[in-house]
Amino acid sequence: MYKTTGFVSFMLRRISGMALVLYLALHIIAIGTVNAGAASFDQAMNFLQQPVFKLAEIALLAAVVYHAFDGIRLLIVHYFDVTSYRQSMFYAVMVVSAILVIAGGVPIFLFMLETM
Amino acid sequence: MSDNGSPLTITVRIQRFNPDVDRKLYLQDFKVAWQQGMTILDALHTIKAEQDGSLTFRRSCRHAICGSCAMNVNGRNMLVCEQPIKAHLNRKNEITIRPLPYLPIIKDLVVDRTTFWAQYMRVKPWLIPPENIPEKEFRMSPEEVAALQDAEHCIMCGACYSACTVVGTTKEYIGPHALLKAFLRVMDVRDSAPGERLADIAGSDGVYRCHTIFNCIDACPKHLNPTRAIETLRKLAQKRLAFEAARAERQKHLDKPVTSG
Amino acid sequence: MRIFQMQRWTAIALLVFLTIHMIVVHYPPFHIDFSRIAARMGDPLWKAIDIAFLAAVLIHALAGTHQVFTDFQRFSRLHRVHGIVMVVLGVVAFIYGTATILAFNPEVAAEAALHLP
Repeated sequence: MYKTTGFVSFMLRRISGMALVLYLALHIIAIGTVNAGAASFDQAMNFLQQPVFKLAEIALLAAVVYHAFDGIRLLIVHYFDVTSYRQSMFYAVMVVSAILVIAGGVPIFLFMLETM
Repeated sequence: MSDNGSPLTITVRIQRFNPDVDRKLYLQDFKVAWQQGMTILDALHTIKAEQDGSLTFRRSCRHAICGSCAMNVNGRNMLVCEQPIKAHLNRKNEITIRPLPYLPIIKDLVVDRTTFWAQYMRVKPWLIPPENIPEKEFRMSPEEVAALQDAEHCIMCGACYSACTVVGTTKEYIGPHALLKAFLRVMDVRDSAPGERLADIAGSDGVYRCHTIFNCIDACPKHLNPTRAIETLRKLAQKRLAFEAARAERQKHLDKPVTSG
Repeated sequence: MRIFQMQRWTAIALLVFLTIHMIVVHYPPFHIDFSRIAARMGDPLWKAIDIAFLAAVLIHALAGTHQVFTDFQRFSRLHRVHGIVMVVLGVVAFIYGTATILAFNPEVAAEAALHLP
């Protein structure tokens, strides 16, 4: 193992990516319940809006936000010559992701408390 | 002598493996007395001469130009001949030396570099000259030389190749060393086959397999930048025909330098 | 190379689509039920946007999975096989997903509202 910030970002990218693929499959199946009628959709949504799924949603948000900003970082590396800032860019992605996950996670958490 | 005057003893922890005897890799500690100006390679030599003659490692020039002694020291690839050992000690005056990662180990610190060289040959690392060779000399402008980004400084030590996570997962990847060489030849105005080269490296084993992990930059003892070279090749591969045509145009008068302006 | 380009372009598309999706569908968080989604989906433009979003996300996800498999040497002999599997999966998921998106009709929502207890 050659552990650097680049390695960490790569592993996180892969793990979040595969997690998102699994989520996408579940998402398509869950929303697909509407094909069996509006009632079954509402039933599925009621089931999925339990607190435990709200917590999972915050984890999902983290995966999405990290994967997105890591992708933006890669686009910047591709289009601009910024390889000498590789470490600062990694930390910037982490900080921005953390801020966005907190900013987006708090409303979800409050909503969860409300519905409990 | 250490800074406070008492003799400094260094613990050199070396990953050992003898294929005839050992079933598993193991770490062995050696104690070495530090001397002024001692490099990591000096410590290895001292151990081999005075403590264990069976310790096996590659080295040759001691001046960071042959590229034989790349090893993994405290988790980072480097040429041990140019690194003062004192700069790599932890608080307990220990240093851990392992062979280059992700490559098959032959013995102790010696790794099998077969795939390294096979991938290198894949990119045709030699210059393919044009038919109309100038009578006296090839002339290049300072801009054209600068565009090579010093890629010719590469000494083929394998530090970048074995630091690459992609190489760790698949040996089918061409690798940063060979892609840097391909970059050097593609950018060189004297080379007459840049289009062919770009087509060769544009497959899924080539520039598109790189995941921009930057380990190659961190590992390079010559401060080269394979990642930037790969990103450049990716861009050039998308406008291959135009690039090839521009090169053919440039080679019509190789006996005089052309400035970009 | 084609996969790499596909990932680049769908990534940029997803940045736009996901931002819209997050803001419109999930923030501020509310209780999701059929009628609320269908009210928005009554606009054919939203249906078009969601179908494009679906296509982009499927391409990005399956091409990404394909690349993860390709990165492991032991799967590399099956390169073509898992490539075909991804395409088939993508087509099936796209047809199913499009049917799902088209199923959100406000008329059905109005009907459903009548049947609510």
